[in-house]
Amino acid sequence: MAKLSLMFEEKLVKEVPVGSRPVRIGRSPDNDLVVDNLAVSNDHARVYFEAGRLVVEDRGSLNGTFVNDLRVERATLHDGDSIWVGKHHIKVDATGDAPLPYESGRKTTAPMINETMVLDTKVRRDMLQQAAAMGERTQFAAGRIRVPTIVVLSGRTDAKEYVLTNKLTTIGKSAMATIKLRGWFKPQMAAQINQRDDGYYIGSGDKIPVVNGVAIPGPTRLNDGDLVELSGVRLNFIVRE
Amino acid sequence: MQISSGGATHVGMVRTNNEDCFRIASPLNLFVLADGMGGEAHGEVASALAVETVVKHCIEGRENPAAALLGEAKPGLTPKGRRLLSAIHLANQKVFQSAQEHPERQGMGATLTTAWIDGAQLSVGHVGDSRVYLLRTGQLQQLTSDHSLVAEQVRRGLLTATEAEQSNLQSVLLRALGTQPQVEVDVEEVGLFPGDVLLLCSDGLTRMVTEPEIAGTLQAEPVPQRAAEKLVQLANESGGIDNVTVIVVSFRPEPKGWFSWLRRGAHKSEGGNGFAGGR
Repeated sequence: MAKLSLMFEEKLVKEVPVGSRPVRIGRSPDNDLVVDNLAVSNDHARVYFEAGRLVVEDRGSLNGTFVNDLRVERATLHDGDSIWVGKHHIKVDATGDAPLPYESGRKTTAPMINETMVLDTKVRRDMLQQAAAMGERTQFAAGRIRVPTIVVLSGRTDAKEYVLTNKLTTIGKSAMATIKLRGWFKPQMAAQINQRDDGYYIGSGDKIPVVNGVAIPGPTRLNDGDLVELSGVRLNFIVRE
Repeated sequence: MQISSGGATHVGMVRTNNEDCFRIASPLNLFVLADGMGGEAHGEVASALAVETVVKHCIEGRENPAAALLGEAKPGLTPKGRRLLSAIHLANQKVFQSAQEHPERQGMGATLTTAWIDGAQLSVGHVGDSRVYLLRTGQLQQLTSDHSLVAEQVRRGLLTATEAEQSNLQSVLLRALGTQPQVEVDVEEVGLFPGDVLLLCSDGLTRMVTEPEIAGTLQAEPVPQRAAEKLVQLANESGGIDNVTVIVVSFRPEPKGWFSWLRRGAHKSEGGNGFAGGR
């Protein structure tokens, strides 16, 4: 079952499971997760399951609800995400959840399209807007551009910072690598980062990267602030705005 | 690096004509794949014209590196990347013009996915929802972004990847070749490593066969031609609702120096294929 852990700095304040009832988050004492801070609204946000997915919804709070680093009105949550309210954050643990088959009202209303078709710019804009209105309204705060960056914390590399612009970024000693490792006995291709539609995934190469202290079992989505260790270098994945 | 490749295409189990088209230009190490659309037989016209234009423009570019380049100047691209970008812009013009000149071809278009290998450098040029994957250390990594409505919604956080796979709006493209006078082209360049396997495919494969199945097939079958045929067969066995086209390219280290005979021996025992020695 999914679990939310309210944290202040690195201290655990309270832990609650997410069941059939929404988890209420706010300053007033009748909330499930009470965050005693003036920056937090009385009824600040809610987390609940919808169509098999964990969703966070801002309740019109004054200072906003953030998932990782993005201000959201509503957003789908993934395992390992952090919800920020004021100076507190809530860790999302969605491990062990069997993903339910997704069903939404969109299916019945959307026309079945078999033939490939292309949207011209106007139709495309309307359709995207319509889809946004129909479905979950994830709102990105206006004007923010996200720049995923790898910052080298320690170890020898050819630069101190790399902006991830390519679909595939390789880390290794090879001349073909984007993040070049220096020094003897470094692997040619230590690890690789693949940009997918829903985020950046790190996968192993000749080495298995350790993300936040855990050796990854397979390609793993990187979240803002993740610490990656491999082949004697420590890297920090951050999303700049 | 030693390059071997193979390709296969099939009409599928439902459709009556195959609008996909592919070309392996082996002396250039250029690989081109297009998935046509538009009623009657016009999808075929569009995809064939697109593929032919790209191959021709790249051959011209090789013979005369100073030949004019079309399209925007993207900084940081290799000469091959720039040529590929130019070729795709030209293909767009040709398909668009053809549709203008022949009113019955109105609305035809194509996806176009290309890969050009120069030593250890791979350039990928792309419009639409056909894909390029790189299999490396057992992981299948997509080198292209689909220019489809659902993929855009995932990138904007409106849908999850799983929802996108189940959506019935998957066929709605935001960008395609030949439907507008100008098109935005993605070019991606990555370094290759020995052992890498490259896959170009139309959506007839990726809608029918999951990524783990694709990765498993590519790993189990080291001969590119047989891997391509196996993938087409898998797509058809899973329903084959669309045309399916696959190109597989594999890279092996060049045998060199005093240990080349050792490597050749190793290849034979490992894969049991006849291609270990030469081209």
